[in-house]
Amino acid sequence: MSQITTKDRSDSPIESGATKSRSRTAVDRFLTTGALVVLFTIFSITANNFFTLRSVLSLILQTSTVTLMGIGVTFIIITGGIDLSIGSVIALTGTIAVMAADANIPIWLSMVLGLATGVVCGAVNGLLVTRLKLPPFIATLGMMMVVRGLVLTITNANSRPAPEAFGTLGNGSVFSYGQKFPGIAFPVIIMIAAAFIFHFILRWMRIGRYTYAVGSNEEAARLSGINVNRVKIITYVIGGFLSALSGIILASRMVTSQPNGGIGYELNAIAAAVIGGTSLMGGSGTVAGTVIGSFIMGVLTVGLTMQGANYFMQQIVIGVVVIGAVAFDQLRSGR
Amino acid sequence: MKKLLVILVALMLVVPMATLFASGATEGSGATGASEIAVIVKTGNSGFWQNVQTGAIAAQKELQAQTPKLSVTFLGPQSESNVNEEINIVQSAIDRGVKAIVLAPSDVTALVPVVKKAKEAGIPVVIIDSLLTGDSSNYVSFLATDNDAAGRACAKTMIELVKAKTGSDTGKIAVMSYVAGVGSEIGRVGGFKDYIAKNSKLQIVTTQYSNSDQVTALNQTTNVLASNPDLVGIFGANEPTAIGMGRAISQAGIAGKIIAVGFDGSSVLANFVKDGTLQAICVQSSFNMGYLGVKTAYDVAIAKKTVPEKVDTGFVMATKDNIDSQKVKDVLY
Repeated sequence: MSQITTKDRSDSPIESGATKSRSRTAVDRFLTTGALVVLFTIFSITANNFFTLRSVLSLILQTSTVTLMGIGVTFIIITGGIDLSIGSVIALTGTIAVMAADANIPIWLSMVLGLATGVVCGAVNGLLVTRLKLPPFIATLGMMMVVRGLVLTITNANSRPAPEAFGTLGNGSVFSYGQKFPGIAFPVIIMIAAAFIFHFILRWMRIGRYTYAVGSNEEAARLSGINVNRVKIITYVIGGFLSALSGIILASRMVTSQPNGGIGYELNAIAAAVIGGTSLMGGSGTVAGTVIGSFIMGVLTVGLTMQGANYFMQQIVIGVVVIGAVAFDQLRSGR
Repeated sequence: MKKLLVILVALMLVVPMATLFASGATEGSGATGASEIAVIVKTGNSGFWQNVQTGAIAAQKELQAQTPKLSVTFLGPQSESNVNEEINIVQSAIDRGVKAIVLAPSDVTALVPVVKKAKEAGIPVVIIDSLLTGDSSNYVSFLATDNDAAGRACAKTMIELVKAKTGSDTGKIAVMSYVAGVGSEIGRVGGFKDYIAKNSKLQIVTTQYSNSDQVTALNQTTNVLASNPDLVGIFGANEPTAIGMGRAISQAGIAGKIIAVGFDGSSVLANFVKDGTLQAICVQSSFNMGYLGVKTAYDVAIAKKTVPEKVDTGFVMATKDNIDSQKVKDVLY
């Protein structure tokens, strides 16, 4: 069994790797979407006010940032890497944007500065992994600590308020119609746009195919002429950019900087990707899968809270779902 | 290129080590005669604890007049729920041979063994903010807000404000707590719930734990408000929780329509009280915990005086009416 798989992988890695992941993910996607629908139905029946327009829109808003982070980390995990620095980057980028806005820099420019910071952090991660050849776990773990220390130092660990206008991005919406319709929140629109854009990049652009190739069989990809280092750095930069986007949205929703925020968020992002079918071994995963995985966790978290379930029960349930999803995936791929 | 990288990495390792040794030589404790008091808190990551540090630094400045070589270090793990890391930090302080430790334990029982070790090593320990169970001879003094009293005061305020607003003493309220099992939470939320149960007919519909993360508190409050539209009151039991809760209330557009009581006194929370999003905040004197904590540790370890077993560092209930008074301004940060 394993012999056939290796042979299958090593000839034409670009084509077979991508096709393999595409056929598996079609079934994956069906199953995970099914699970999402079932969960949503259960909570609509058992939790008070869950199945209302307002609550559903609120749920999507609350899940939007984890989805963005999840999409970013999906690219990285497909190449066989990982990113543990997401939470710290969220804190740093949000804080830098707020500090810039407090210093009277125009809001849009402050946010761009925040995004640029995220890109830089991503690039550093990429360089540590490719040039210094550090294992991604170690490199991003180190960055997680360095970036956290950095943001705490520059703020002295204090949350500071941002100017009210800074909150428009996180709290504003389109199509709102007074009390009747709260509108589609900006972060939700950003999430939808990002999902489409990055799905397109991963599925249809050359860099997407190269990402799968590097993840399926790095040596064969290198021998086929793919610049493996460049591909990896690009995935880390994408991860850094989307983490920064999440960080700015969260800072905007709170209208404060949170140098102490985001702790543990990387685990939610990775869980979203894994539930959605991304394999931690690398080589498979999709943006759509990650979106669904993120919403499964979101529905569970919001649903259990609204049902009044014991908070500790939430932890157990979400943990069981993550284990179940990965175990199911392992069983299906016959490992 | 490769050689350059190797040299760079070697430098990255050597330089921090060298600075460590250099500073160790001049500020080290014990044999060289310099004195370190280690202040170890639940996390370095929060305005509340940073205010404790401000108090500790103020004490250090005063005491350096008598003991010039006195140094007060301030450390804490990444997050309040990271108990193991706090244990390690205490252990390394013991290994350094500090003169005294001022500790805010992030768990009622887990820190007991390492505090015992400090006592056996002859290092006096002063506990601040949160309870430590077990033999009280393990530590020399306990300085804290009486969290139980503070929780009860919040409950009393909640009952009074709900009565004033709705005219009745029945209704649903929610408790937004932070880290389950930590000493301050047991006192604070426990005191709150007990007072509510004994003195009113208000019903607590849910208790949520934010792990001291603002966004988590924001999302949890949003969900609780959505599934309980008839909520009359809500209590946010520490700083990040109260901030997230305040934001959720303001975004749901019900500021002023629900009685919201918060805890701790950062500028963001003070602003919420001023604009009516929160009706009251209970402000601890975190400054006092650092200031008196270091002074007590100094008295025991260096001045060799006896110190009181328990010190109440106090709290102030701040509402819109007294937010600008001097008493309140002193405890805000």
